[in-house]
Amino acid sequence: MVDLTQLHDAILRGDAKKAVAVTREALAENASPTELVSKHMIPAMDEVGRRFECQEYFVPELLLSARAMKGALELIRPLLVEQGVASAGRVIIGTVKGDLHDIGKNLVASMLEGAGFEVIDLGTDVAPGKIVTEILERKPNIVALSALLTTTMPFMKSTIEELRKAGVREQVKVMVGGAPVTQQYAEQIGADGYSDNANGAVAIARKLVSG
Amino acid sequence: MPEKPASDLVHIRLHPQGTTLHVPRGTPLQEILFEYGVEFPCGGHGRCKGCRVRILSGDAPWTPGEEEVLSPAELADGWRLACRSRASGDVTLEIRQWEAAILADHSSFEFRPGEGLGIAVDLGTTTLAAQLLDLATGDVLAVRTGLNPQAAYGGDVMSRIQYALSPGGQPRLEKLIRSGIGDLILGLLEAAGRGREIGDVVIVGNTVMHHLFCGIDIAPLAHYPFEPARDGLEIRESGALGWNIPGRPPVRFLPCLGGFVGSDILAGIIASGMHESMELAALIDLGTNGEIVLGNRERMLCASTAAGPAFEGARIRMGMQATTGAISAVEVSDGNFHCRVLGGVPARGICGSGVVDAVAAGLKLGVIQPSGRFAPHVQQWHLATDVTLYQGDIRELQLAKAAIAAATHLLLLRWQAERGDVRHVYLAGAFGNYVDRASAGRIGLLDFPFHIVEPSGNTALLGAKMVLCNSDLTDDFADLRRRIRHVPLAADPLFEDSFVDCMSFPEPGAQNEI
Repeated sequence: MVDLTQLHDAILRGDAKKAVAVTREALAENASPTELVSKHMIPAMDEVGRRFECQEYFVPELLLSARAMKGALELIRPLLVEQGVASAGRVIIGTVKGDLHDIGKNLVASMLEGAGFEVIDLGTDVAPGKIVTEILERKPNIVALSALLTTTMPFMKSTIEELRKAGVREQVKVMVGGAPVTQQYAEQIGADGYSDNANGAVAIARKLVSG
Repeated sequence: MPEKPASDLVHIRLHPQGTTLHVPRGTPLQEILFEYGVEFPCGGHGRCKGCRVRILSGDAPWTPGEEEVLSPAELADGWRLACRSRASGDVTLEIRQWEAAILADHSSFEFRPGEGLGIAVDLGTTTLAAQLLDLATGDVLAVRTGLNPQAAYGGDVMSRIQYALSPGGQPRLEKLIRSGIGDLILGLLEAAGRGREIGDVVIVGNTVMHHLFCGIDIAPLAHYPFEPARDGLEIRESGALGWNIPGRPPVRFLPCLGGFVGSDILAGIIASGMHESMELAALIDLGTNGEIVLGNRERMLCASTAAGPAFEGARIRMGMQATTGAISAVEVSDGNFHCRVLGGVPARGICGSGVVDAVAAGLKLGVIQPSGRFAPHVQQWHLATDVTLYQGDIRELQLAKAAIAAATHLLLLRWQAERGDVRHVYLAGAFGNYVDRASAGRIGLLDFPFHIVEPSGNTALLGAKMVLCNSDLTDDFADLRRRIRHVPLAADPLFEDSFVDCMSFPEPGAQNEI
């Protein structure tokens, strides 16, 4: 039997090759996909988050660990879907209209997946109308919006307004983030949650689905 | 510091500019001349003779080491390396790099004697540099530098755009920059003497500066797809810009290359000569917005990447600009490190080149691990009595260097070339001039063999001067621009992967395996 602490350690170290190799081996040995996620990957990402909180890890490590986790999750995800495993919640995430930056957004998406959320990534330059359509079709718990540019940040406001106009604002919680975004701005545009880092976004998302 | 008596000041007269500088006796010439716009291609290490000056009158003894670079005849003729010399007495000197010949160093540029005087301007997001040239000889008659007055409304191009989009913002920024450059030109004219007519003015700058100077609507640059309405050659009457210049010359703002990559990079390409060579070359401008060009005379790719301000010492806890009191270099010998401080005073901060050196030194000494983390039990690193390197500083540098390294990697991939195919790497800009190439290699910022990396100074201004001396007023460089393709990195799915790959520092003795 493959030693699954290796999966935990590989994610912690940000070693994507190792994480994928161990996962592949474990699945070949009929390890339970849910247990791989809940007993090894989520705790590893929680530990990554803890280290980030106490400034032992920084964005570079977060990116590396997230990539390792994502690599492993790609092997597991189809099995989870097959088995109809319940997620921590469904999140629609995207970078707002006019903005192509997605490294931060992808990191948040990975961290959320690492925490057991089902994440639907709409990519970048996402028009408000597209988000409305997705809300109606996919019934997410959370809509997460990202913007890196000061010049595209206002599209967060117009997106939320668009949700309101379409009558779907109350069906979801909206969380926002990105370099120029502040708590104050988040409150001003009527978002439900804000975090200035990817790890904090997980805590916010957990709070939003439980509240 | 006790005030020096007036008798301890010496006079440095610059010929033919006619300027006289009063400086404390013993001040390194490098500090004096750098502030006056002279560049030090090897970073002031006495390895090249790009900063050489000729002592026309007065006495300036040569220092040991200079004879390795300058021939006995040159030394006898009064040539000295500015980076090795001090202001020990009153002298008159001429600055070699302001003479026409240096323009031809890198390229097949042929000087075409013209008439009258011309002005070349590098309109940077942060700094402005302008030179007055004698178009008959190509000599630099006067130099003026200054800060971009728009900087009060945002340090980087995006915040500048944001301000421009606020009510009345764009006209205000336009007015500021036009009068800022107008003032520099007045200074140049004063130095040249009244009554001389100016025949031609050439300005280069990035796309945002192009728009803000020329008065082109900035809104399309605020968001994807970042397609400017107009980014070609712009010609204005100097009078219409509010400039009262004798001769009423036309003012040319050279065309942009695509996205945020502007005519400063076009000028850089011209200055490097990479567009005329069959050899594969890269031009890298290390700034808040890193810009990279890769190619040869057949085709070139260019890209810009947000490296953040770490190279300029910003977002570094004790970071500062490369001025007196900044740790500018950290050297390692026999398991110990030694800091070099600008101005020979106690260190009070660290500038961009110092941060790169410090991290390279930390990796060598095992203080910093390849992951970027300090070694176990190291919390922070005291570089000097009052200067400390913090964990967060290393992280800022990692993000900045990964942005440049990933962009370089991606352009190589898109050009379908290997790293080893690159024959020349031209480093543009002030930081590129001062960063230690070995350290830049050690941290994986420039993963090229040391000997092909050439600090090339202000290539934007150099290229602008070459255009000033060598082209028709209406030349829009269509042929050259047709060979250059802009690669939008943010839209490239491989960029993020490459960015993460480049985040760590190379293991000791290994180059980044990407």
